[in-house]
Amino acid sequence: MRAHYLHFLILLGILAGGAWAFFYVRTDRYLQLLVGVATAAAYVLWGIIHHVIQRDLHIKIVVEYILIGAIAAVLLFTLAL
Amino acid sequence: MNFLHIARHLFIPHHSNNHRPKALHVDALLFYVLLLSVFNLSLRFIRTRSDVLGYATDIHAEQLLAGTNAQRASAGLSTLSISAPLSQAAAAKAQDMFAKGYWAHNSPDGKTPWDFIIGAGYRYSVAGENLAKNFSTSQGVVDAWMASPTHRANLLKGSYRDVGFAVVNGTLNGEETTLVVQIFGATPVPKAVVAQVRAAPLEIEKTAAVSEAPPKTLVFTPLAPVTTPAPLTLAFTDVTKIPKIDVPTFTRQVASVFLGILIMILAMDAAVIAKRGTVRVAGHNIAHILFFATILLFSAMMRRGSLL
Repeated sequence: MRAHYLHFLILLGILAGGAWAFFYVRTDRYLQLLVGVATAAAYVLWGIIHHVIQRDLHIKIVVEYILIGAIAAVLLFTLAL
Repeated sequence: MNFLHIARHLFIPHHSNNHRPKALHVDALLFYVLLLSVFNLSLRFIRTRSDVLGYATDIHAEQLLAGTNAQRASAGLSTLSISAPLSQAAAAKAQDMFAKGYWAHNSPDGKTPWDFIIGAGYRYSVAGENLAKNFSTSQGVVDAWMASPTHRANLLKGSYRDVGFAVVNGTLNGEETTLVVQIFGATPVPKAVVAQVRAAPLEIEKTAAVSEAPPKTLVFTPLAPVTTPAPLTLAFTDVTKIPKIDVPTFTRQVASVFLGILIMILAMDAAVIAKRGTVRVAGHNIAHILFFATILLFSAMMRRGSLL
């Protein structure tokens, strides 16, 4: 359970870092896209590593995290139009 | 199957959907990715072929001047006067960027901002250039310049006396673009004035800044519009466009509604599963919610405008 909280703290760190970087490059849309996609990729990685450590990783879970990341990436590319 | 059954199947964990709302199944997520991709491609296709979709723009040189001077005044600096040659140089620079398809201070063939200034017939002792593209309002441009340390330093440089603006709409590298060019300058101080300035220590420091951008001994190659500066300058001072659908507003609304609905389904699923104590193979809803909330934050922070 303690490891679970630690994992979520790391996730919060990743998302907060992404948000800070996104704000930092706010005058450059292409850099913003890059930060957005990097944050999505980091999230997918976090999900997979978290479930590996929890020993409940399944191919369905991997696909789920990849698709969640893909939704975010396509949305960001649409917002950048 | 009535409406309630369909809604339960889509949004509530139940044995009919293997204890995971159908709207969160992997095939549903794949469907969303494809749907959003089609939406993205459709917007790209429609915006280039119709006037319905576009970018709302309302930028005026007068407002840019007022905004710039307001910032300088609040910093205790002298206000800048609009200079026709500098505005002409700015217009020539914007036209050059569209013609040669670049977004940079120097052109691909090596032309610098100083070449445009000299070409417009402005003899400068110090000069600078701020660029912006794809902002929707004049205030948005000034705010972005003030938020960027290098542009802010240019905008608040004490040695500048004159400024010129060009606001031009066109197609840059296949993308509809509104360029804003701001060129600062000051002409050499007459000898008599320099003598007075030297009497005051504070002013001596300011004149020292002159050396930051000394006039270059370039061959004077006047641009074609030099002989008729006024019409060119006037033609590039304002861009006002009001499309039926503003693309950034529309995409932000679609993203907010889509993510809002997904977050609600995830939250409902998490609550029901926690209450029932169901064990299943699936990702973490709370993590997904946190991630989508961050993407919502990104969409609020995303701006089309860029600076250089």
